[in-house]
Amino acid sequence: MSTLIVVDQAPYGSWAGREALDMTLSLAAFDQPAALLFTGAGVNWLRKHQAPEEIGQKSVEKNLAAAPIFGVEEILADATACQRYGLTEDNMIAGASMVADTSATLNSHQQVVFAG
Amino acid sequence: MPTSLTYTLVITGAPWTSQAPQTALAFARELVSAGHRIDRVFLYGDGIHLASALSTPPSDEHHWPQEWSEFLAENGIPAVACIASALRRGLVDEAEQARYELTGSNLRPPFEIAGLGEWVEGTMKSDQVIYFHGSV
Amino acid sequence: MGNMTSPNEQTTTLHILNKAPEHPRFEACMNALCPEDILVLSENAVLALADQNPTIPENSLALAPDLAARGLGTDFEEQAISYQDLVRLTEEHPRIISW
Repeated sequence: MSTLIVVDQAPYGSWAGREALDMTLSLAAFDQPAALLFTGAGVNWLRKHQAPEEIGQKSVEKNLAAAPIFGVEEILADATACQRYGLTEDNMIAGASMVADTSATLNSHQQVVFAG
Repeated sequence: MPTSLTYTLVITGAPWTSQAPQTALAFARELVSAGHRIDRVFLYGDGIHLASALSTPPSDEHHWPQEWSEFLAENGIPAVACIASALRRGLVDEAEQARYELTGSNLRPPFEIAGLGEWVEGTMKSDQVIYFHGSV
Repeated sequence: MGNMTSPNEQTTTLHILNKAPEHPRFEACMNALCPEDILVLSENAVLALADQNPTIPENSLALAPDLAARGLGTDFEEQAISYQDLVRLTEEHPRIISW
């Protein structure tokens, strides 16, 4: 029974993406199949070279890059949203795959969850 | 209704700021009436404010934290506020007050503070997991 | 939830959406709907019924108390459901997405 956690909110302006990542890592810690899908403005969580120190936050880039090591099965990004925000393989963190049809992605997981 | 099902309810929207606690309570009451069992209620993100003992709405308004705690107590339903969400938003129990040497604690019984593992367990054990989010 | 069906079983999905049509997640939900799925509008999402250019499926349902709150209580009686009806829908659909 696999769970897809969806992040559709932009990074750093709200806590929602971090809470989604926490949920995903918790599932993985319990050996539950889990995948992350970034859509809409949320794809910007996957941009390389995030440097949030001057706004007083910690970067999630390393946590996301390490997610597969902790057992998160897939990190997916909506291709249309990536195109809108100029995200390509070159400027996205390693380990993220683009999906053209997010509906198919949603339908391939028994549980689809938003953190907020 | 053929079988009794088990539910985990997750609330991520705060009272008054969102309708999440109200919709969830109305739904929860009907679940119980229909003979289903609520395994647990899990508060996450801004939903943790529902567990505040200090929330003080005007007397002619619904008191969502109080109504929820009464419903939980009457029906013996476990309820958890996620510790990570709770602490940073200023919801603490006596143990966390002591640990961090804070000036007070404000967790409304019967809510307890615990980790995301409680949510994961709900996803593993309950027949259905329903989420009540904010809407903005 | 997963405990009610096996992983690869084709099942219809109950979608519970509480966001007004302008919210980005509203459109995302519309795009994710499959023909046999059921859409329940709650809270601000019930306003979609008043939208003169609706994008919701014709068989969409809406929580009656939320319709009434927003002054739409008498306009959409055929699509209005109670919280009790919503419980029944969750009994009947092993797969639920809360948007």
